[in-house]
Amino acid sequence: MDLQALREQFPTLRADEPLTYLDNACVTLRPDSVIDAIRDYYTKQPACAGRSPHRWGTAVTQMVSRTRRKVGAFIGAQPSGVVFMRNTTEAINQVASGIDWRDGDIVLTSDREHNSNLVPWLQLERRGVIEHRPVPSLSDNSFDIEAFANACADAGDRLRLVSLPQVGNLDGVEIPIREVAAITHDHGARLLVDGAQSVPHMPVDVKNLDCDWLAFSMHKMLGPSGMGILWGSDDALDELEPRTAGGEAVVDTSFSGFEFRAGPERFEGGIGNYAGIAGTEASIDLLSGLDMGEVREHEQRLNRIIGDGVGGISGIDVIGPQDAAARGGVTDVLVDGCDVHDLAILLDEAGGILVRSGFHCVNSWFNERGLDEGSLRSSLYLYNTEAECRHFVDTFTEVVNAIR
Amino acid sequence: MDWGEGNWPASLQEVIDEFSDVFDAMERYEMLFDFASECTPLPMEEWSDDTRVHGCQSEAHVLCSLDEQGGFLMIGSADAQIVQGLMAVAQKAINGLPPEEVSTFPVTFTRELGLHDSLSPNRANGFLNMFTRVRQEARKLAQGAA
Repeated sequence: MDLQALREQFPTLRADEPLTYLDNACVTLRPDSVIDAIRDYYTKQPACAGRSPHRWGTAVTQMVSRTRRKVGAFIGAQPSGVVFMRNTTEAINQVASGIDWRDGDIVLTSDREHNSNLVPWLQLERRGVIEHRPVPSLSDNSFDIEAFANACADAGDRLRLVSLPQVGNLDGVEIPIREVAAITHDHGARLLVDGAQSVPHMPVDVKNLDCDWLAFSMHKMLGPSGMGILWGSDDALDELEPRTAGGEAVVDTSFSGFEFRAGPERFEGGIGNYAGIAGTEASIDLLSGLDMGEVREHEQRLNRIIGDGVGGISGIDVIGPQDAAARGGVTDVLVDGCDVHDLAILLDEAGGILVRSGFHCVNSWFNERGLDEGSLRSSLYLYNTEAECRHFVDTFTEVVNAIR
Repeated sequence: MDWGEGNWPASLQEVIDEFSDVFDAMERYEMLFDFASECTPLPMEEWSDDTRVHGCQSEAHVLCSLDEQGGFLMIGSADAQIVQGLMAVAQKAINGLPPEEVSTFPVTFTRELGLHDSLSPNRANGFLNMFTRVRQEARKLAQGAA
């Protein structure tokens, strides 16, 4: 991976004094190709897909189906299972609202969930539709496969769905999805994987994962905001009722009924985010040209610099495993004696370093532990450099000392 | 008195002058932290739902009253050093003024510290919420005194 050539493709990294962007678990930077693709849609062929037969409509229809094919190939799937959504959150909500729940159904998640993979289940539980059970992690936040197997056994034939992040946004911890899938399927339940923090950072193949649904967001992988993907196996998608019914989702309607389309378009009612889909194609093109295994190793290598650098400071408690490589590109720290929002502001002011402070949408994890101050998270991506990581460690040390 | 740019109370102008001599952002914050450490905090035993400022990322409390001369008196505390520092500067700006002047005192004084633009929306809004609350309290005290 030619890092310098890669960085040249990002306008924000070409600046005379580029900022050090370490908030990639939230949103990544976008390369020229993505920005150009979005602009090209609006300037060259601002039409809709699948409806109008004119040349612009045809071009957009072709672009949409080409992108569906490329997204599928990126995750080892057929295009027929690729549904365009707004983001991971919408994809999870589609599954939550699309399943025909039975009385007593149980949904298992982890105990370190992003709100997007917690609130939909809590909503259903509040309405008396399902019972939600969080599976406890080990003390270092690693996945406890035994506890999970026991939770499945406890749920018995009431277990309907397991919904887990492949990689956690709180701590970068990876869950062994293939093992989870085997146990889940042995109990006759479905497996939904939140891939928001895995698909952008490592090789992901749905055949290897053996999951039923996979949800991820393009804004975390060089793509546009407002674009996400729900992938599902044919039979898993068939199990879902589309939550956004409307134009192009149906084959035909009358005043007495309607017939949904057979393909993934049945979940995409209404005019789509075609500029976003064009940007998605460009981001997938860029990522498909890289070795995602190399991307992962690059982030792990850099994360070791950050983890070793800040982990040794007194009063700093790294969330998750102490081995930085086990946290992918994430280092999230609890800081004694400093307000983490002050720290984040000062990292920006003193060093042009952009990181996230707060609860990272994993409020439940903090609340369970009585932690009301939040944490400070750095999260890496493929364009970050060793120099940036050393700069972060040096500046972090300086500002912590200034505040204390 | 119409307070505003170019016409601040002397105690605030002194602070603004100190900040304007510093060009390094980190040093400006360190100066703000010095103000925070010199500020008399609102004792924790006086923190309550009535004193709590909503809308701050961190916990913040203010208590407003009149001093013996009838001037405005605000005491505040915050978990976050930056908010505590801004409160300290706000104390220098408004404490001792007639409450009716505090009730219309412009929050724009923070811009003159060279910090305002760098504050995150949540943090800046948090301080704005605090200052709005202080002005409301000042209005009530002015009406009570009239």
